[in-house]
Amino acid sequence: MPFLEAAATQSPTIDEWLLWAILVSPLTAWALIVLYFRKIPAVAGYLAIAGIGISCLISFVTLFNVIDADGAIAQHTHEWFTAGDVVVNLGVRVDGLTAVMLVVVTSVSLLVQIYSTGYMAGDSGYGRYFAHMCLFTTAMLGLVLADNLFMLFIFWELVGLSSYLLIGFWFHKPSAAAAAKKAFIVTRIGDLGLLAALLLIWSRAETFDIAGIHHWAASGEASDKIVTLFALGIFAGAAGKSAQFPLHVWLPDAMEGPTPVSALIHAATMVAAGVYLVARFFPVFEVSTDAREVVAWIGAATALIAATIALVQTDLKRVLAYSTVSQLGYMMLALGALGYVAAIFHLFTHAFFKALLFLGSGSVNHGTNTFDMRKMGGLRAKMPVTFWTFVIGSLSLAGIFPLAGFWSKDEILLDAWRYDRALWFMAATVAFMTAFYMFRAIFLTFFGEYKGGEPVDHHDPDNHFHGDPAHPHESPWPMRAPLLILAVPAVLAGLLNVDHDFGDFINHALPELPHHEGSTFEWGIALSSLGLALGGIGLAWAIYYKRWVSSASLRELFLPLAGLFEHKYFLDNVYEDIFVRGIFHRGWNRLLELTDRYVIDGVANGSGRLVRGVSSGLRPIQNGLLQTYGLGFAAGVIIFVLAVFAANPL
Amino acid sequence: MTPGLEHFLTVGAILFCLGLTIALSKRNAIGVLMGIEIMLNAVNLTLLSFARFGVGHGPVAGQAFVVFIITVAAAEAAVALALAVSVYRNRDTIDVDKLNLLRS
Repeated sequence: MPFLEAAATQSPTIDEWLLWAILVSPLTAWALIVLYFRKIPAVAGYLAIAGIGISCLISFVTLFNVIDADGAIAQHTHEWFTAGDVVVNLGVRVDGLTAVMLVVVTSVSLLVQIYSTGYMAGDSGYGRYFAHMCLFTTAMLGLVLADNLFMLFIFWELVGLSSYLLIGFWFHKPSAAAAAKKAFIVTRIGDLGLLAALLLIWSRAETFDIAGIHHWAASGEASDKIVTLFALGIFAGAAGKSAQFPLHVWLPDAMEGPTPVSALIHAATMVAAGVYLVARFFPVFEVSTDAREVVAWIGAATALIAATIALVQTDLKRVLAYSTVSQLGYMMLALGALGYVAAIFHLFTHAFFKALLFLGSGSVNHGTNTFDMRKMGGLRAKMPVTFWTFVIGSLSLAGIFPLAGFWSKDEILLDAWRYDRALWFMAATVAFMTAFYMFRAIFLTFFGEYKGGEPVDHHDPDNHFHGDPAHPHESPWPMRAPLLILAVPAVLAGLLNVDHDFGDFINHALPELPHHEGSTFEWGIALSSLGLALGGIGLAWAIYYKRWVSSASLRELFLPLAGLFEHKYFLDNVYEDIFVRGIFHRGWNRLLELTDRYVIDGVANGSGRLVRGVSSGLRPIQNGLLQTYGLGFAAGVIIFVLAVFAANPL
Repeated sequence: MTPGLEHFLTVGAILFCLGLTIALSKRNAIGVLMGIEIMLNAVNLTLLSFARFGVGHGPVAGQAFVVFIITVAAAEAAVALALAVSVYRNRDTIDVDKLNLLRS
């Protein structure tokens, strides 16, 4: 494939088996835990850490190897099966984008596993938890490594499955079971689009190969309409997984799962898979302006909607969940606005600081037995490590210089500014809100008086809460250490792209370098975004720390809006009432029910009734009297003879 | 008027119909048996008529059939009467309307 060599100077020299080992290592851990160690917590946790640790190590080796090769692409493909004309391959593709994703996934996953050994200690499903986590990590790595859309789709669905299993980890809680179901079904709606794209690309280009699809889109052999359809199908899948409006409703509910799961899957990695997918097929989106417009505006709408909802949440984890949705919208916005580097860079930094924030909220939960911020307060002195790392994560998310979030968010704002001022305006509004709601959360959680947390319910057999919520304490070391480690990239990761090293590196994953100039630093944008962030923090400080304005009176002021935000734009109600109850329960399901009752049952009962009717009509004939039978026999013979004569007249 | 084949056949047919009617309508098992015997003899008459008027496979075939039928009919009558006696001993009746054990 000559168009590949155009960008590459030399191929990465890493051995193929090492790349497969990245995948196999957590898979082995999963198999071992499921088969042998599910009931042995002491082994299960460390096995998971070992499996993912090996993966992480190889991922770093891969990253440095690809850096040495200047971001060149290495691809190893094997034929898996053929069915008629369809050839399905299994293969790995390593380039800048893959290498970055590998490192993000494995390192966050590793830290989350370590954290989980503390957080999940004593849970009756401890072994099952780590098995699912290993399965998830395997699936995510497979998704990232896949060199063709078919394989990517398989792992995409596996990721969805493990997400379902982990959201519903405490499946005996009805809310968790419902949330898991909701997540699975809502993402499945988006996946339908991805499946359609898969079929479309096969019927049009007869290849699933990622490089082949890039080439197909760029070559112009397909009409714009087909390319746009394909791109929109890809984006539909991405919107489901990455919780884009209007499919974002599952992600906040997914917080029913254990907090480390939220940190790994529903903040750092899986929900970023949608962004990764769009970035993976970025050359296709470059060709289709229409699809890109859709991505940009959906992204902007998602960012704005989620940020406004986050303003009024009282549950710490839900603030973070909506913040995640909002930031994912940001990334999509960037992709739509041709900011490929900005989007992936934000994905990269966001993974670290958002995982940090989630783990921080888990640590708070560990001390107070609640996520309700109205029951917290004053935890700063009692949980100093959690507090300071949480502040670092929040500053990074808010985009304060010189933390990681500042650099990546700034690039997105710059790309939005260059693409469309309206997009920039929306993004800037979101930046302000982000700073506000994060610091609202911090002031409510860590400052003021402690309000007692949630008393432990000793009658709940699943409650493994240790200690006394009335006297919160810092979490144990397995939980503190990941917080401290994650704080480092949350601060420093932004510096990677100051000289565009990161951008150049991942740009080589594209078949040809982008025509538009990558982001450069612009003082105006940087200062305005910094100003907005500081303004948001200041406002939160004034309202929730100094209490110059009471939040209740502020709510009165914005009542219709605040009500709208508190009810999440009534989207859940709309889905529940119109789609679930209206169209499905009363419409489709009722139709199926009636069909079942009258058509299916009608056929079954009808045939029974027919047989019974005929038999009751015929029963008198069998009266056991030989003479009657003989009469019948004689009559039959006579009729037969008459018929023969009628047919052959003499 | 010399009786021809059709006269013999007509007598045979009438006899057969009489026998059939008796066999199907008599309630007494002995009567049924007698009806069957009449039918057998009607068939014998028909076979002999064909043989006599030279229709079919030569003159001997029909007569040979008749000899066999008479033999079998004798045996059948013996068995059937024995059955009738046996049924009467067991059920105190040979009314065929009451012998409906075949009814499910």
